[in-house]
Amino acid sequence: MARFPQTSQQGMQALLGKCRVLWPLSRCQQLFAVSFNIANREKVSYFSFMTSSSTALPVDSKGTEAFPTKKRSEIQYEGETAWDEESKKISEGKLHFYSSGAPKKRLVSHVLSRHKFVEVQPPEKPLQAEEWSRLRENFRSPEIFEDVMFNSMVRCNSPIDVAKSLLTYVAKTDGDIRYNLLVKYLALCVQQGKTAEICDVYDIMKIRFKILESGAYNLLIRGLSNSDQWRMALTLLEEVRKVMTPSRTNYESCIKAASRHQEMNLACELYHEMLAKDLVPTLDVLQAFFDFSRGMKDAELQKELFGILLYLRENQIYPHRTFMRSIKLWFESIPGENWRGHLTTIKDRGQCPVCDHQLEDSDLTEEEYNNLRERIITDVIHGSDTFRKTSPQEFEAFQTFVENRLPFDIVIDGLNVSHIKPRKMQCENLFHAVDCLAKENVRLLVLGRKHMLINSSNWNQEIMKEMQNKADFFFAENISEDDAFLLYATLRSGKHCKFVTRDFLRDHKACLSDSVTRHLFRKWQRGHQIVFSPSVEGKHINFLPAFNYDCVVQTTGDTWHIPYKDTFEERYSYRVPRKWLCLQQK
Amino acid sequence: PSEKLDLDEWKKVMKSGLQVEVSETISERKELSTLAAARETVEMWRLAGRSVPENISEEQLKAFVECPSKSSKKKYLKYLHLKELYKKNDKRKMDEKRERRLETQEKASKTDETRKNSFTCLWASAMDKTHNWRAAQSMVFGQPLVFDMSFENYMSPREVANTVRQIVLSEGCNRKSVDPFHVHFCNFKDNSQYHREFIKHYREAWDKLLITVTDQCYTNVFPKDKIIYLTADSPNVMKAFDHDKVYIIGSMVDRSIKTGVSLAQAKRLGLETASLPLEKYLLWNTGAKNLTLDQMMHILLTLKDTGDWKKALEFVPKRKYCGFVGR
Repeated sequence: MARFPQTSQQGMQALLGKCRVLWPLSRCQQLFAVSFNIANREKVSYFSFMTSSSTALPVDSKGTEAFPTKKRSEIQYEGETAWDEESKKISEGKLHFYSSGAPKKRLVSHVLSRHKFVEVQPPEKPLQAEEWSRLRENFRSPEIFEDVMFNSMVRCNSPIDVAKSLLTYVAKTDGDIRYNLLVKYLALCVQQGKTAEICDVYDIMKIRFKILESGAYNLLIRGLSNSDQWRMALTLLEEVRKVMTPSRTNYESCIKAASRHQEMNLACELYHEMLAKDLVPTLDVLQAFFDFSRGMKDAELQKELFGILLYLRENQIYPHRTFMRSIKLWFESIPGENWRGHLTTIKDRGQCPVCDHQLEDSDLTEEEYNNLRERIITDVIHGSDTFRKTSPQEFEAFQTFVENRLPFDIVIDGLNVSHIKPRKMQCENLFHAVDCLAKENVRLLVLGRKHMLINSSNWNQEIMKEMQNKADFFFAENISEDDAFLLYATLRSGKHCKFVTRDFLRDHKACLSDSVTRHLFRKWQRGHQIVFSPSVEGKHINFLPAFNYDCVVQTTGDTWHIPYKDTFEERYSYRVPRKWLCLQQK
Repeated sequence: PSEKLDLDEWKKVMKSGLQVEVSETISERKELSTLAAARETVEMWRLAGRSVPENISEEQLKAFVECPSKSSKKKYLKYLHLKELYKKNDKRKMDEKRERRLETQEKASKTDETRKNSFTCLWASAMDKTHNWRAAQSMVFGQPLVFDMSFENYMSPREVANTVRQIVLSEGCNRKSVDPFHVHFCNFKDNSQYHREFIKHYREAWDKLLITVTDQCYTNVFPKDKIIYLTADSPNVMKAFDHDKVYIIGSMVDRSIKTGVSLAQAKRLGLETASLPLEKYLLWNTGAKNLTLDQMMHILLTLKDTGDWKKALEFVPKRKYCGFVGR
């Protein structure tokens, strides 16, 4: 973060303009006042609370370390994040993180909206009613004074007494306090962990309103679950369940609270309830289970935790580094079982260097394989209308073509391969690729489009002829999708068949209608896709062979192998981790 | 200022004075029906300051309950909220306008001078007559333009409503043009969603529209070799407007992009396709290349009258391009 030595308003404005950080001045000064004093980490958490959406995680520039998630979720109240105008204004602090890459448009719109941005500095001590009313009078738009004031109190983490004095002022003048002010006050209490106040506010809300909305419930549950009143959070969860489906963060708070107090049965119960409601548990929750079961000897609990690991396996989720560490520590702490964990990297062969165990391959079972093939035909190729990707005649022609020449060993996406080296002629690229692969006496199928058969600067017909001696070719219509054919031909040829393309095939995966099949597809893709890249000198092409092993959590009973991500941020779906945790029982 | 502050006084205020209400609310607290509970939730969200409509009808509430997910619920409420705001604003503006008009009338009545004019003031209806005359002419002599109404199944109810709105706008600008198209609605099923929406818009005027509506496919109405299907997915780029061809526009709004739906239709029927030469004439900036139906109508009308691509492509929304090529 850049620090600005100047505080004169104009200088600051000029700097702000340059650096594309668009805060109103008062706010800036106040932030700088804060940020000069606190340590780096704290600052980050301070900001992240403002953005309060988990996707806008600030990037920890130093850290290869997984980002501790507790920091980021210090406070989030749903009611404020996605909805009202004010919160959008709050989250303008977020702009900071876009700095250099921020698109111009966004900036323009923020400049325009800047005049609407109203900001006040909350006082440091409780004020008398008269003082509040004077402040209110002087404020630019008195009708929203209380809201703005409360927002900035939450942001600056003002002393709770100040907030109370404002509430007292409001109560005296209006004889009532609006619901959203109560919620904002509640947010402040939760932020500072004032349990007694939280209970009081809850009592008041209870008297005043028939039901509460999710924002208030979220705050209450979060606030109470972190205190010694955590059982009350459970009753609140019960109450939420009557009116709506609790959010996954609600469950998260309760499960964490229960496991923190060693009520593992209760935690498991809540966890299963959550799964039954189709909520996806956060990695935090799963990690909490491992953290708080350390050193316990309980067969039931152990089964639960193995269940969680299998959940990771089924959903192809990779734990991050800190989570992995919790898993390792838990295994090693099981009394009398003598687990040992090692961190390792597994190479292409798929053999664990620590225990010499060969990892599972990514072959599907016969049933899964047939299922996947059927679904590719119905969902990807036909979809809602066969004409969108091909035509029935063409697909039929392709099917007979494939049936007559089965089985292939490698299916090549001709057009994709022909683009690897942009300086070369496209057909030369393809020729190279075919040449490389053809040496090993394998049956090749190259898929292309009809325009490749017309002599042009990119497609030399002599080379094309020569290639057709080495491989089978199928040319689709120019407006057809050849990727769908690629998938079909590979799947039809059998389990040994691989395919070559640089495409990640994400759009085809997205056509599959349920997550089970999508997972199957990913698994199959990992084991059968050959990716290539031009070598640096440009002479030949490097092929990255398909994985021999499957990159998922796996076990043989006395060993566990768990792939993990090095950092917290989301890995691209096509990239799989190379780092593993190897656990074995001695 | 030496007076001691009682910081918890607000609690007393909140708790006292409400004792009466308390007993009421407790007795009231029964099992709520789903709709009532939903209404309650919406009300609480409104109190929490979210974008939620102030008034919500029974029908809307039902639609709200039926929304499959939390985010779709929020979206729907936000949509209602905005709709409410627009309505309110419009009403406010209308009222202001009326007041102003009354004022000016008062002034006018004071001065009270009779204007001399050779025409009686019958603009609106006279214009209507001319437009209708031209539209009637086009129904006999005009070049056909087809709206393909076969995409209902690809659209959500809201998308159908948007589509119909766009067609209504296009029909309007067609009627007002110097040389209108003879508009055809093909593949039009009675009692379809399209039909119901059209009736909502046109009411009684629906039966008096000077257009041809048929449940037949355009391939039965026109010779196949004369038809050109306009779709952004087409690999062929339109070079010039052909006055002898029948152009077809797919009546579809796809908020979530559905590629190749109308191209598939043309492929199935073996029709020639074309797309507008947007790349050739415009420096494209952002946004999808598919245009709204009324924009298409404006472009085609301009092309028909002038054959000038630059003039025609002025109707592409300004945000989508940075400028014209070579200007």
